[in-house]
Amino acid sequence: MSFSIYGQALSSRLLIGSALYPSPEIMKKAILASDSQVVTLSLKRQNPNAMGGEQIWRYIQEIVKVKQGFLLPNTAGCKSAKEAVTLAKMSREIFATDWIKLEVIGDDYNLQPDAIELLAATEQLIADGFKVLPYCTDDLVLCQRLYDLGCQVIMPWASPIGTGKGLMNPYNLETIRLRLPNATLILDAGIGKPSDACLAMEMGYDGVLLNSAIALADNPVAMAQAFSLAVASGETAYVAGLMPERQTAHPSTPTLDTPFWHHHGATK
Amino acid sequence: MNIFINGEQVSLLEQASVADALQQYLTEQQQALTFAVALNRDFVANSDYATTCLTEHDTLDVLFPIQGG
Repeated sequence: MSFSIYGQALSSRLLIGSALYPSPEIMKKAILASDSQVVTLSLKRQNPNAMGGEQIWRYIQEIVKVKQGFLLPNTAGCKSAKEAVTLAKMSREIFATDWIKLEVIGDDYNLQPDAIELLAATEQLIADGFKVLPYCTDDLVLCQRLYDLGCQVIMPWASPIGTGKGLMNPYNLETIRLRLPNATLILDAGIGKPSDACLAMEMGYDGVLLNSAIALADNPVAMAQAFSLAVASGETAYVAGLMPERQTAHPSTPTLDTPFWHHHGATK
Repeated sequence: MNIFINGEQVSLLEQASVADALQQYLTEQQQALTFAVALNRDFVANSDYATTCLTEHDTLDVLFPIQGG
């Protein structure tokens, strides 16, 4: 099955962040190893004398060129719709894309999105021509509202950013999938293990966005490959169709023509 | 007049524009980098730098690409 974001076909369902790697070189190798075509990045004030950011930006440009990929700027750090809208406009000018990973944080402790500000920012950005990819909680009604506003892509969290706790509430995530069958759903944040990514794909999620689980691995390049395989595996499994879960045991081996000694107990 | 660029106080001539402020604040090498600007938390398009005038105590944010998740 093909995968696309706002009509742009993509070969990989893994979207990857560019932060927290041990070095820019490892970042580049890991992103290339992930097979991802979508790389997230951000805008920040920079000490004019510190040129590290420019090197990262150059590497990301090289990666995108090699992978024929796409930039996905975020609005990390924004706490109000106004801040997020301004940062989105700045990103659009710099990165020449109308895609925006919209983050509006309402709580510093768990970096939980502020649903009210998120909806306000989404409405303004869509009216201004942006293609919004909102990072949100696993709240069905919030996801529905975002979809109704015009978000073709919705990105509920698995768990708080950077925790690696995996899918905190599979029931909520499955419900969102079932109730929004036409939305492109990308699980974003909190993924710790390749099996988390695989589980999301087995649920029918369209993609997975992660950063820390790869960047903070002992070997980010190998972990990027592991996630690539996990996402592909989960997607293949979803398309193949999982067997229904059953409450009682069923023998795998045919029982017809079972040798007589197996019937000994049953004949009593 | 005094304005703030990325939190630092900068003295400029009266009626200076955003372009003037950037020229004074950034080195030539930095001006060649990729960046975007907000004035008092509102986006200012690159094409408007020369025609957007600053006033006392304005705040200018100059943002650069950086890694992100």
